[in-house]
Amino acid sequence: MSAPAPDLSGKEPGEVARLLSYIALLAVSAGLFWEATNIPASRFETLGAGAFPMIVHGCLMLLLVITIVQTLRGLPAGSYAAFATAFSIWVSERRLVFVVFVCLGLYLAAMPVIGYPIATLVFLAVLQFALAPKTKGAMAVLIVLSILFSFGLNWLFAEVFNVFLPRG
Amino acid sequence: MDAFLLGAGQVLSVETLIYMLLGSIAGIIAAAIPGFTVTMAIVLTLPLTFTMDPLQGIAVMLSVYVGGYTGGLISAALLGIPGTPSSVATTFDAFPMSRNGEPGRALSIGVWASFFGTVISTAVLIVAAPPLAIFAVKLGPWEYFSLIVFALTIVASLVGHSLQRGLIAALIGLAISTVGTDPILGRPRFDFGIEMLAAGLPFLVVLIGIFAISQLASEVEDAGKIKSGQKLVTGEIDFKTWAVMKEVLMRPVNLVRSSIVGVLIGALPGAGGSIANLVAYDQAKRASKTPEKFGTGITDGVVASEAGNSATAGGGLIPLIALGIPGSAVDAILMASLMVHGISVGPRLIMDNADLVYGMFIAMVVASFMMLVVCVLSMRAFLRVAEVPKWVVVPVVLVCCVVGSFALNNRVNDLYLLGFIGLFGYALRALDYPLAPLVLGVILGPIAETNLRRALMTDDDWSLFLTRPVSLIFLIAAVASVAWAVRAHFKSKKTQENAEGTAP
Repeated sequence: MSAPAPDLSGKEPGEVARLLSYIALLAVSAGLFWEATNIPASRFETLGAGAFPMIVHGCLMLLLVITIVQTLRGLPAGSYAAFATAFSIWVSERRLVFVVFVCLGLYLAAMPVIGYPIATLVFLAVLQFALAPKTKGAMAVLIVLSILFSFGLNWLFAEVFNVFLPRG
Repeated sequence: MDAFLLGAGQVLSVETLIYMLLGSIAGIIAAAIPGFTVTMAIVLTLPLTFTMDPLQGIAVMLSVYVGGYTGGLISAALLGIPGTPSSVATTFDAFPMSRNGEPGRALSIGVWASFFGTVISTAVLIVAAPPLAIFAVKLGPWEYFSLIVFALTIVASLVGHSLQRGLIAALIGLAISTVGTDPILGRPRFDFGIEMLAAGLPFLVVLIGIFAISQLASEVEDAGKIKSGQKLVTGEIDFKTWAVMKEVLMRPVNLVRSSIVGVLIGALPGAGGSIANLVAYDQAKRASKTPEKFGTGITDGVVASEAGNSATAGGGLIPLIALGIPGSAVDAILMASLMVHGISVGPRLIMDNADLVYGMFIAMVVASFMMLVVCVLSMRAFLRVAEVPKWVVVPVVLVCCVVGSFALNNRVNDLYLLGFIGLFGYALRALDYPLAPLVLGVILGPIAETNLRRALMTDDDWSLFLTRPVSLIFLIAAVASVAWAVRAHFKSKKTQENAEGTAP
């Protein structure tokens, strides 16, 4: 299914957000380019282990600089002031996305400690509860699915595929 | 002939056929769920095939693939929501047909068109892949490097809304592929003393994070919609299986043209079912004597869109089998699954593992028959699947992604990586970067680097990339694809400016 319109609530705030992403990528790429220059060359070949990364980051930096210049030329002066407001609206509209990522982060961090079955049971129960309509039917489905995909899946992988998920 | 019989023997064993049947059902169910793409279904199938023989595993994944392209039809026809991106054009006519009181006929036409599209594309695959592979074996590292440059530029120019962001995404993918030991001398690069980075970023974890996690997160963007259910269209669901088959076959020109469009687009790196679906529909509309009826629920619209997207399955396998270049994310996963079993994918695949390649051809045909039988016999049961709400799909599939990533290497570090890559993928998606060029960059990066360095180890003359004819053709094609995309961008900008200028 196609994703909803990804723009940050309008064309110009979206362009400012992309401009910031270009600058961030340029900084990272420049750092990695410098790091690649420190990879020792080989006497067995014309190009060393650092050459290909330098070519890739060189092209990336060139493309990013061109794109940054183009974006700066195309953006009206007032765009930057409107960005902060548009960004906060964008974040508030997508609060469930952040709930999903926070839950996922905690789940992945907890899994090695408390084990797959319990971590998954809690993750599924909490996330489904956050997303589901609060009806009795939904709650019953929530409980069944949480048990099925935590203890059930753990059993399936261990007994059928001989893959042991983290036990904690 | 021996290799063909060997491949046939493996695919037609009872065990493999049962697994393939389950794969077909799983593919149809997965793609019928809005928000669950064919790519995700294939990604989640991969860990389950580790314990199988290589051909058995590939056959199961192909049946999920073929089933998935058909499953997207269910929600497209009944809800007007494309179950997968490759079913967008299917909604144009299948959904109006359903709303006109013929939901069963809409589904039945789509299933038959998908079946014939897959069979036609498999026939083209069988004819085209072996000679192309024989030609590809003669290519040197110069040609291979130039071919990868072409593949990446064409992906970047075809996918998404911006050529620049497409190219940036492809370069990010190449940059990700340089993390870890270098492919020729094994020197460590960019690990910064972190153990997780020393071995490089596992391709499949990157793929799951970039595609699946970011897609699932984007499904919950609209807080209002996720908590509300949507009803199926009302009306009698009567499939009229055999009458509809005749109706589809009575449109041979549309069927063959849409399938060929699907094969050609599928064979083009990066341009998968989503583009084929729209282009085949557009071509059918242009060729029709009654183009004004398109969009109102006519048979030709459903036939073109479904034959077009299903035919990309066979088309996408042509560059994978003949050149070792995956044309789409799904083909990249199929390639990875072969690599997991220690089979090197490239032009020698068909010579060294002919039984495997013939087995893949047979599996495609078997998978399309299975899809047809499963759909005809149990379509009514699948209709319930389109009603599964997103609040169930998102958390459950997230867990499946986590399990799949862990099962690849049994490493907890991969789970942390999955989380980071998922967040990164969502940020890129939100900023309108196309993700397919990035993923292809990750998988093609080591191949590009190896061939570039090999070429210069053989002869340090850079001009050979321009003086060897085949290499030059690929580089010219790469420049042409970028130039074409730039021209299209300026043309659409000019049209937009003219429209704004004439607006009151």
